[in-house]
Amino acid sequence: MEEGASIEIGEFIQGEGEPATSWLFLVLGFVSSITFLVLYGILYPGNDLPVISSMLPMFEGVFDSGIWFFILGLMVGVFAILGTMLSEATSE
Amino acid sequence: MSSDFMALLTIMATFWLAMFVIFVMLNRGIWVFTDVSKSMSMFMLEKALGPAVDFVEGRKGSGAKTWIMHGALWLVPSSFFTFSGLWVAHDPTALNSLSSWGYSPSSEELILAGNLTALHGAVAMLLIGAGMHIVPKLGGTNLASERNAALMSFVWTLSVAIMMVGAHSPQLLGIKVLFVGTMIQSLVVVAVIVNQLLTASSRTRKMPLPAWLIIIGLVSYPVALSVVLISGEIETGLGQWALVRMVGGAFFFMQVAGVSLYAASIGTGNQLWSRSLSAVILMGAIFTLNPLGDNTGSIAAGLLGLEQGILEASNTDVIAGSFLMALAAIPIIALSSNILVTMRGDDVFVENPDYPGMPEINLGGLMLIPLGIGALFVQTDSITSTNELAGISGTIFLMVSWLLMIPLSLGPALAIFPEVSGRSLLSNIRSRWAFWMMAGGAFSGLLMTLMADFSDMALLEIDSESNLDGISKEIRVIGSVLFYGTVIGSIMHCLNIISGTFRGSISGADQPTSSTSIGQESFKLTSGTTVRKILASGAGLDTEVVPTLQTDKPGSKTEL
Repeated sequence: MEEGASIEIGEFIQGEGEPATSWLFLVLGFVSSITFLVLYGILYPGNDLPVISSMLPMFEGVFDSGIWFFILGLMVGVFAILGTMLSEATSE
Repeated sequence: MSSDFMALLTIMATFWLAMFVIFVMLNRGIWVFTDVSKSMSMFMLEKALGPAVDFVEGRKGSGAKTWIMHGALWLVPSSFFTFSGLWVAHDPTALNSLSSWGYSPSSEELILAGNLTALHGAVAMLLIGAGMHIVPKLGGTNLASERNAALMSFVWTLSVAIMMVGAHSPQLLGIKVLFVGTMIQSLVVVAVIVNQLLTASSRTRKMPLPAWLIIIGLVSYPVALSVVLISGEIETGLGQWALVRMVGGAFFFMQVAGVSLYAASIGTGNQLWSRSLSAVILMGAIFTLNPLGDNTGSIAAGLLGLEQGILEASNTDVIAGSFLMALAAIPIIALSSNILVTMRGDDVFVENPDYPGMPEINLGGLMLIPLGIGALFVQTDSITSTNELAGISGTIFLMVSWLLMIPLSLGPALAIFPEVSGRSLLSNIRSRWAFWMMAGGAFSGLLMTLMADFSDMALLEIDSESNLDGISKEIRVIGSVLFYGTVIGSIMHCLNIISGTFRGSISGADQPTSSTSIGQESFKLTSGTTVRKILASGAGLDTEVVPTLQTDKPGSKTEL
């Protein structure tokens, strides 16, 4: 590049349409995660999964009482409220 | 015995005198200190907050809108805590899995959390928010400080969150949590009162009674607390019980009356039916003991960080207290009749029933009298120490909250929301669905719970050690499941309000729910009506009345 020559900065382009095959990579990522989880169980048999295994005891008693189905409904509702707030505030 | 008699009447007489003095000062000012106090108050509301005041823009209506949004959002946790409390009452091990996180609530703790968030969170914030729109509107002025109003809503929400924690754990690290929440809330109440008083002082016309109900109701909260503190009865059961009656009757009942009378009028387009009854409500709420609310002073004791005193009432206490509570039927009936007749106009049908908030106000107006009578029986039973109705007192309190206080605060908030935010709710149909879910869930669920309570009372009367796991437990299960409709309804209301804030039709540009099209320049007369209704709807002496067979309402017939 010649000294003193002006640098043209290109314009940022972002397409509005979603490509048809983008879902393929999402599925690949999901399958890879499941594969690694299974592989962990094969390579380290008898070892608990980190973090997840310490949270699972909380769900042991979930199906002991029907209140948890209602709590699930409340969680859906609360996240719907939060999602509505975020989406309405950021939508054009 | 005579000292107890003097204690109750001393508290009431001092309260009456204080309210009278304040009413005179509000109208006549405070001599040479009026202007000084106004400028100092304005400084404390805005400048004294420092850089925090720059977080809010202070647009017109922003204060009221923020308070109403917070109040609507508090409906969700309050309904869920109440639902959980009703469920855990028949299934104590339902939430045992949460003990691994250190959370093991009992039914009483959950119900208390639900009551505190419902009354101090949802009801109080909806009332204060509605009042911040109504008082300036009726006074022909603007709110003194929109910025302070918007900021204080967040501080109030913080105090309610602290109360929610305190309901589960009254003491943490040696600190009385509920007392901390009460102190923060008292600070906000002072700011709100100063804001409203400054607004009222700059009024350009005579304020109608609904505005005075709101202002006097706000002022009565610190006055009642101060009176009981000065009387030295704050640590006794009688003083705590009297404080609950005064705060419930003045702070909550008067504000509910003011906002619901205003909303009933503007929502239906009918003028307020009776000014005399409005005055009766104002005077009656101050001079009587309102029976609606908790039948003990436990809430007052808990919020003030005190031990609950034993309610020991002498014969004269019982007579005086019962008499004053029976007199409270007058303002209750006056409010109910004023609301219901204003909404109906000349016939038995509610006018403009599709307007947001009208079903809620109608429900609250209908439930005032039966719940008022029921609460009177429960309170009289409590003060006489008979305690035969103690088994149903909790459910009656829940009914007062969910079938009276919340409808009469949420309904007016929905009705004035278009004026406050400049946009209508997203959908009136969704608003109606949400009403049926909330009202149906609360009514059916709490009625079932009340039936179970009566069943338990009958069994315990026969045998104090009888097994209560029979039919009453099954009825409680049904009641708690039905109450879940209230949770769904509150979520639907929140979604409707939030979406309406962003995507609702611009207020004034499109009013599909209005039964007539009314503008200042012209009034389209589509059917027979009275001159009173035309004038009450906003038309003036120069408005042109145009008889026509067709309206602009979508779907109506077009004359060819």
